Amino acid sequence: MVIQKEKKSCGQVVEEWKEFVWNPRTHQFMGRTGTSWAFILLFYLVFYGFLTAMFTLTMWVMLQTVSDHTPKYQDRLATPGLMIRPKTENLDVIVNVSDAESWDQHVQKLNKFLEPYNDSIQAQKNDVCRPGRYYEQPDNGVLNYPKRACQFNRTQLGDCSGIGDPTHYGYSTGQPCVFIKMNRVINFYAGANQSMNVTCVGKRDEDAENLGNFVMFPANGSIDLMYFPYYGKKFHVSAVGGPVRWLPPGEQGPGEEAECQGPGPLLSSSGPGELHAAPGGREVPERDPQCGGERRMPYQCRQHRHGR
Amino acid sequence: MGQKTLEIYSVELSGTKDIDQTDKGDGKEKYRGLKNCFEPKKNHQREELKKELDLDDHKLSIKELEEKYGTNFITGLSSTQAAELLAQNGPNALTPPKETPEIIKFLKQMVGGFSILLWIGAILCWIAYGIQYSMNKSSSLDNAYLGCVLALVVILTGIFAYYQEAKSTNIMATFNKMIPQQALVIRDSEKKTIPAEQLVVGDIVEIKGGDRIPADIRLLSVQGCKVDNSSLTGESEPQARSSEFTHDNALETKNIGFYSTTCLEVSASPAGTATGMVINTGDRTIIGQIASLASGVGNEKTPIAIEIEHFVHIVGGVAISIGILFFIIAVSLKYHVLDSIIFLIGIIVANVPEGLLATVTVTLSLTAKRMAKKNCLVKNLEAVETLGSTSIICSDKTGTLTQNRMTVAHLWFDNQIFIADTSEDHSNQVFDQSSGTWASLSKIITLCNRAEFSPGQENIPIMKRVVVGDASETALLKFSEVILGDVMEIRKRNHKVAEIPFNSTNKFQLSIHKTDDPNDKRFLMVMKGAPERILEKCSTIMVNGQEQPLDETTAAAFHTAYMELGGLGERVLGFCHLYLPADEFPESYSFDVDTMNFPMSNLCFVGLLSMIDPPRSTVPDAVTKCRSAGIKVIMVTGDHPITAKAIAKSVGIISANSETVEDIAKRLHIAVEQVNKRDAKAAVVTGTELKDMSPEQLDELLTNYSEIVFARTSPQQKLIIVEGCQRQNAVVAVTGDGVNDSPALKKADIGIAMGIAGSDAAKNAADMVLLDDNFASIVTGVEEGRLIFDNLKKTIAYTLTKNIAELCPFLIYIIVGLPLPIGTITILFIDLGTDIIPSIALAYEKAESDIMNRKPRHKKKDRLVNQQLAIYSYLHIGLMQAVGAFVVYLTVYAQEGFQPGILANLRVEWENDNVNDLEDSYGQQWTSYQRKYLEWTGYTAFFVGIMVQQIADLLIRKTRRNSIFQQGFFRNKVIWLGIASQIIIALILSYGLGSVTALNFTMLRPQYWFVAVPYAILIWVYDEVRKLFIRLYPGSWWDKNMYY
Repeated sequence: MVIQKEKKSCGQVVEEWKEFVWNPRTHQFMGRTGTSWAFILLFYLVFYGFLTAMFTLTMWVMLQTVSDHTPKYQDRLATPGLMIRPKTENLDVIVNVSDAESWDQHVQKLNKFLEPYNDSIQAQKNDVCRPGRYYEQPDNGVLNYPKRACQFNRTQLGDCSGIGDPTHYGYSTGQPCVFIKMNRVINFYAGANQSMNVTCVGKRDEDAENLGNFVMFPANGSIDLMYFPYYGKKFHVSAVGGPVRWLPPGEQGPGEEAECQGPGPLLSSSGPGELHAAPGGREVPERDPQCGGERRMPYQCRQHRHGR
Repeated sequence: MGQKTLEIYSVELSGTKDIDQTDKGDGKEKYRGLKNCFEPKKNHQREELKKELDLDDHKLSIKELEEKYGTNFITGLSSTQAAELLAQNGPNALTPPKETPEIIKFLKQMVGGFSILLWIGAILCWIAYGIQYSMNKSSSLDNAYLGCVLALVVILTGIFAYYQEAKSTNIMATFNKMIPQQALVIRDSEKKTIPAEQLVVGDIVEIKGGDRIPADIRLLSVQGCKVDNSSLTGESEPQARSSEFTHDNALETKNIGFYSTTCLEVSASPAGTATGMVINTGDRTIIGQIASLASGVGNEKTPIAIEIEHFVHIVGGVAISIGILFFIIAVSLKYHVLDSIIFLIGIIVANVPEGLLATVTVTLSLTAKRMAKKNCLVKNLEAVETLGSTSIICSDKTGTLTQNRMTVAHLWFDNQIFIADTSEDHSNQVFDQSSGTWASLSKIITLCNRAEFSPGQENIPIMKRVVVGDASETALLKFSEVILGDVMEIRKRNHKVAEIPFNSTNKFQLSIHKTDDPNDKRFLMVMKGAPERILEKCSTIMVNGQEQPLDETTAAAFHTAYMELGGLGERVLGFCHLYLPADEFPESYSFDVDTMNFPMSNLCFVGLLSMIDPPRSTVPDAVTKCRSAGIKVIMVTGDHPITAKAIAKSVGIISANSETVEDIAKRLHIAVEQVNKRDAKAAVVTGTELKDMSPEQLDELLTNYSEIVFARTSPQQKLIIVEGCQRQNAVVAVTGDGVNDSPALKKADIGIAMGIAGSDAAKNAADMVLLDDNFASIVTGVEEGRLIFDNLKKTIAYTLTKNIAELCPFLIYIIVGLPLPIGTITILFIDLGTDIIPSIALAYEKAESDIMNRKPRHKKKDRLVNQQLAIYSYLHIGLMQAVGAFVVYLTVYAQEGFQPGILANLRVEWENDNVNDLEDSYGQQWTSYQRKYLEWTGYTAFFVGIMVQQIADLLIRKTRRNSIFQQGFFRNKVIWLGIASQIIIALILSYGLGSVTALNFTMLRPQYWFVAVPYAILIWVYDEVRKLFIRLYPGSWWDKNMYY
């Protein structure tokens, strides 16, 4: 016969639970006596204490292998990426000329972004370097000798410097400036000793038509070699570094996209590039190990502008 | 006409009739097996299935029968008639038990176990993708892919499990296929041999001795026919059959022969055949109805199925509760609902051991294969383990415990009892054969015997030869053949001149021979029979070859010997002879057996000979093993209590020093009632006693006595006994061979049918078939079953451990906001990739200690997955693994530039595709793709970390109590294969497929493979310490909490 399933009444269930939580006969709480619970607590205290110690120890050992100043490996950063300012949610810079609020936030951001590049601050913090050459700062026997960045003066940005600019970087006139910056990578010698340019084109043909010509500051979107290499946050006294370029206004149309190429040849020191991401938020996986010094790495950025 | 045949039996359900009411006469007792009982699922009242037999064909005269079935006794049916009937009623074969449709079986695999959880995961993935898609048409397909992968995993593991099941079922299917039975039928006035399947109602069939009866038949003309109805009624004695109507009850009357029973013999006259008319075919036969009723007895879930369900509940419960808990936490931490859903999926996937159920199936089928080699054919994979947890075996006697053939066990002559060798080959007959009495006795044994070897068996060992004749005569024939050599030759030399065959009124058998001594012209009359009848006819007795007058003392000696042999449960025969004086009985004398013109008294008594169906030589050992393994062996037999008890004693079911209440009474010379029942360990209970017992009394009997023999039981009572055992929370194994056993076989937790003697119905109802009908094979099965339970425990512990290491990353990711340490796809590669072969390898692990020396596991207490196992796997080893894997992950990030300090709360920026200048600890800026690649490297690192520590986990799971050094590092070679597979798969994933974007693996620097090694060593050392303390302090707090 089937073993009959004992149907328990609700009261019985409650009663059983009560007894499970506290059993007055055996003095068991949740099925264990006080001593047993004490043992358990002690055991886990010791066990997890030991485990934490072990973890701490191994982490400490591991951190001994890591230098404070240069990362152990940089294989993922063979090619630095590009980024735009103003930084927006999805890299679309939306501007409605007639609606000041639409671009005011961008202007605020740019003001903040460009503040450290004020000539006065630059002169105070950064070195004047010889253009056209890498600004190498060897330790010369002094360990971790502080390094300085080269000056990049805001005034170099010309019409987009925003200094005394009633057009608010062109946003109020529908010719907005977009700044392109290159990611910092430690000990990266960009350009292989040749001058570099950032070039921008419309993503699609019709975009190119609508955008018209770009005006670049400094001229031709050139990046000077003196801004390289970067020695890392701890060495570089000045946190601000890296070149800033602006993308000048073209003909405006609804929703044009522009694509910018980073300076090439980029690969001078760090071996074959493997992948590149771009400010457009589009991943451009380039895993061609063949790509050597001569190849121009495509970057894309997108500028999105809305109606007049 | 066809309609009429359909109405012959009606089966009705009656819930009110008590079973005992049907016991009107003792003759009916044995038919109770026909009335199967089963429980409807809803009410717990036992319902009796009562069958009313409207069969009246046995009452009809031949003329009426011919009319009724439109047939002719002489010419038979015409072929056209037969074809019509065949089309109308279907073939004469039992419909195989209803199989679950394949598609249902398949779908069951798809939704069983963890599949539901994974389906939920997959659906959540698709929902998440749907939401993403509706928000952003160009959203990434990751979630949709993941959903597909999860669905694929479920479907693939489902297909795999289904395939495994199907494979093991197929073994059975091929086994079931038997040589089609032929039947000799008269059709169109011609005798034809046709397949028995094509028989139809009204066919006239002829049956010879040894044939299986092809359908239910009404016997029309027959003489001296005996049938073996044991598979139907459980009666072991051959039943006489004649063409006369003797009883109102169709089952009792002698003129009906039943489908699938065997016709043992038919007298030579008139044609050596019995003629009968088919009255029922196929499922409408009595056997057919029982077989179909057996399928009504519910099949209980196997213990291992219950265990696995329990385990699935635990893991599923953990998965769902952690999932929901963290869903709530995530939502309250202001995560997007969409993100929270994705976390939920990750948690489910991390928690569910996807590969485990497939592993369990493989493990079970490996064991099933191993058992098949040892003659245990497992029909239902899960039954492999059931045998291991068996705590009571209800064993049949005949054929399972015994050799199923009468064998001469003892001889008594010259006032002395001699023991004959009863082993399987009889080879060692050591008794004194020099006495003159033996010469005379052997002559009687040889000559007064009608059994003969079937021709053409000269090369077969004597004991295996086929003999035509009844059981005792066969025993005597083989006995004398072994000792004396060619019996047929001896018989030829001593020509038989007259003979009276054995019959139940005379109770003796007699024959008269010319002797082979050419100088002796006297006839020799030899006689054997019931000892007291033989002794009556004697006036002298032979002692040491000399005839002596039979006086009081020798008669007393005879009685003592007779009682002693009878007390051993043996069938005793007396032998006597007489040389007829040559002057009175010259060579030309014509003996007339009807008038008995020869002396029937003053014979010379020669000796006694007793026979028994001896136990198989392997059984006593097997029973001892069962004993030490804590398994109670109960004998349930239809045989007499004395025989049953004797066999039980000789095989050890009743051990040498234990007594029954009756034994104690006899020893102390007191009445049975005065005996303290507690003193008796053993009990012999007959069917009649059992009938009067209430279930409570039966329970008491089963708990109070450790050694029980049920004798004279009906098949119905077998079912009651099984139920009684199951009420004790025991896992009950039942052995059986007859159709009538099939309900009990089904009812048992594991039904074991005999492969050789078993009927199809029994094999169909059973979970397991013993190919050699040998009880000892059950013991092997038990051993394998227990081992597999232990090893499954190890497998599950191994598999569960890494779940924590897979789960922690998600929890920490949600709470601390690290970049995701391990991806869902990567987890699947552990669960279904690196971990599969190692977990199967644990099935090959040898037992740690003698598993046959411990008690069977308690169904409710010794769970497959218990609290200790879960806690030890999750909170001890699993946590260590998680920490170890995190160290690898953090190492990779730190050496690439992201030191542990800045990882916290980095998640949002890290995952934002539009942040292309995320700063690391050194002020370097990372694009989103660069980060993605680093994240995948982190996955690979975490994966490798887990893999390395799973190697240590695998090694520690080899044993639960012993040190790994005690178990031996290299005894289980498959483990090393498993470790190799783990490493190779990981290498392939990282270095071979590291460039396949979709898999999220990258090429990992070689040194990262060794970062987790200290933790692997820690795991191993920790477990060795655990085991050491368990061994040192058994029963301590440590033992209780740390032994799983």
